[in-house]
Amino acid sequence: MTVDSAPLRILLSEAGYRFLDPPILSDATVFLEVAGEDLRRRLYMTSGVDGRELCLRPEFTIPVCLHHLATGDAHRMADYAYIGPVFRHRIGASGEFHQAGIESLGRTDRITADADVLALAIDAVGLYGLDAPDVRIGDSLLFSAVIDALGIAQVWKRRLARAFGDDARLEAAIERLSGGKSAEAPAHAGFLSALDGTDHEAAHRIVEDLLSIAGIRSVGGRAAGEIADRFLEQSSLAAGAGLDDRARAVIGRFLAVSGTPEAALADLRSLATDENIEMAAVLDSFEKRSEGLARRGIDIARLHFSASFGRRLDYYSGFVFEIHDPAGIGGQPVVGGGRYDRLLPALGAKASVPAVGFALWLDRVKEEAR
Amino acid sequence: MTAPLVLAVPSKGRLQENANAFFTRAGLPVQQSGSDRSYRGRITGLGDVEIAYLSASEITRELAAGTVHLGVTGRDLVEEEVPDFADRLDLVLPLGFGHADVVVAVPEGWIDVRSMADLDDVAADFRPRHGRWLTVATKYVNLTRRFFHEHGIADYRIVESLGATEGAPASGAADLIVDITTTGSTLAANALKVIGDGVILRSEAHLVASIAANWSGGARGALRTILDRIEAEAAGRSLREIRADVIDGEGAAMVAHDRFGATAPFGTGLGPLTLHCPASKVYQCAEWLRTGAGARSVTVTRLDMVFSATSPLAARLLGRLDGQMTA
Repeated sequence: MTVDSAPLRILLSEAGYRFLDPPILSDATVFLEVAGEDLRRRLYMTSGVDGRELCLRPEFTIPVCLHHLATGDAHRMADYAYIGPVFRHRIGASGEFHQAGIESLGRTDRITADADVLALAIDAVGLYGLDAPDVRIGDSLLFSAVIDALGIAQVWKRRLARAFGDDARLEAAIERLSGGKSAEAPAHAGFLSALDGTDHEAAHRIVEDLLSIAGIRSVGGRAAGEIADRFLEQSSLAAGAGLDDRARAVIGRFLAVSGTPEAALADLRSLATDENIEMAAVLDSFEKRSEGLARRGIDIARLHFSASFGRRLDYYSGFVFEIHDPAGIGGQPVVGGGRYDRLLPALGAKASVPAVGFALWLDRVKEEAR
Repeated sequence: MTAPLVLAVPSKGRLQENANAFFTRAGLPVQQSGSDRSYRGRITGLGDVEIAYLSASEITRELAAGTVHLGVTGRDLVEEEVPDFADRLDLVLPLGFGHADVVVAVPEGWIDVRSMADLDDVAADFRPRHGRWLTVATKYVNLTRRFFHEHGIADYRIVESLGATEGAPASGAADLIVDITTTGSTLAANALKVIGDGVILRSEAHLVASIAANWSGGARGALRTILDRIEAEAAGRSLREIRADVIDGEGAAMVAHDRFGATAPFGTGLGPLTLHCPASKVYQCAEWLRTGAGARSVTVTRLDMVFSATSPLAARLLGRLDGQMTA
């Protein structure tokens, strides 16, 4: 049994969102290409007569974005909404459940759009009796600003950014980049230390030569130069070129910041001053977004910011939020949302397209008692 | 009514030869009915048992579905094809043949990749560099996904491969593979190497029971008989009989039990002491019987079968089946 979604349909329509009903039977490749192989175990897979892999749609964001791309200029403004069944293998729950949500595409006033979308999400759960929900927010741009300011090499930044959002993995990545703490000595340690101090170009040639002298026949889809690159990265890590003590301390202090947006902002500003980190622009955006929420009548003292909160899907590009039912069980959010400017390019758009939205699990809310 | 117990046996190749040899040793000679082509058979002297000849992966699926009661199949297939195998199947006994490892193997030229953590780095950098995911060729789709997930590797795609997987990196069909290997020579011939912590599973042929099958009446009696003989054969295979003219039989039996895990199956009465000793401890035990227990002669013989009054294997499995039925 699903809850009544008629009031929600009215709310989203009146907010200017146009309803789409994308097909349930979808091309599986696009979901796997965007989200990775790990998603497959949750998909209801089937195949077409031509052998193409198909699946029952596991969510709406990608189908809505594909519709947007197929029907006009990727960068035009468009606000879409949806309500309908999605299908995922779930343990102990039905694989078919209903979601509702919105996708706001093309708005270049990103900060205002972020605030609009979160405000609408809070209104939406209000329809189901959640008058005082737990709202958790995060912003990966703050983390990026911190690691940018620390002057960390590009390759390590990428590694940290990828682990952001998963505390255990991030901690492991920091540990690894701190050097000397890895469980095993890097391969060919002697050779690596001999390379240390050699200039990068020369070292690169040495490793490439070495591979060809050794008669290495097979490198799969990787070029010898690429292997040399990573070999040299390991060498520089072993030589202590990863994270120094200060970088670790700053990252640790940053990740520990949490609380109301106001308190967090104050903490982050003093962190920036103390450590001389240039992040005024992202902090101003953060503040502006909070003000925008307050203007929409949201009590921002009820929001909970956590510096370490993020999503590991790499199309998310900044602001993220979750809405929880304080009386809910299992810690699962009723709403998940955020900004995903990198999704449309992954689906074929030529450049990044501003995009923000949320999805509401209709199987996690209750009919409001009247 | 007496529905027979259906025992599924591999229908071809070395697995079939080994399985037949095993059942023969256990006093359960399998006989194909009618012609060689028939897919049904019997065990001489056991009317309640029907043999079904199937491929190893069919056996796994039929066990999971409960359409056969017992079967011989590889652990790799069980874990690959039955996600909740621990609930639906019982791995009764490893059979000592069909050994193979399911491993993650990468091109030898990847000198920077020695651990799964290295592979995670490569996977993560691959898409920004090449504009596509790192690809893994395998027929073990589920095992691969589970193992990569455990190691936190998310940035890859699987290319399903139904044969000659080891050629995929050279042909450009995939960047690395997950495949089965016994000696590693096929991998080496294809310029591939196994990642240090990339052994997903050490597999071997198992006797597997289906929890979901209908275990009423005749099937249950037949199960007891089969397990009794298999257990006797397994015990015979792993034990040696030692006889020695020790001075103090009772004392020697106690020490032999504590130090070598040997038992005195016929007590410690008159005549030479008889011990059943684990095969791996035979030499130490024989040494000690002479130097420590005063024996002048020690004889060691192989045992074909050891039957005992209790049958832990059958007791455990029947207990589990009963639990399932009352649950």
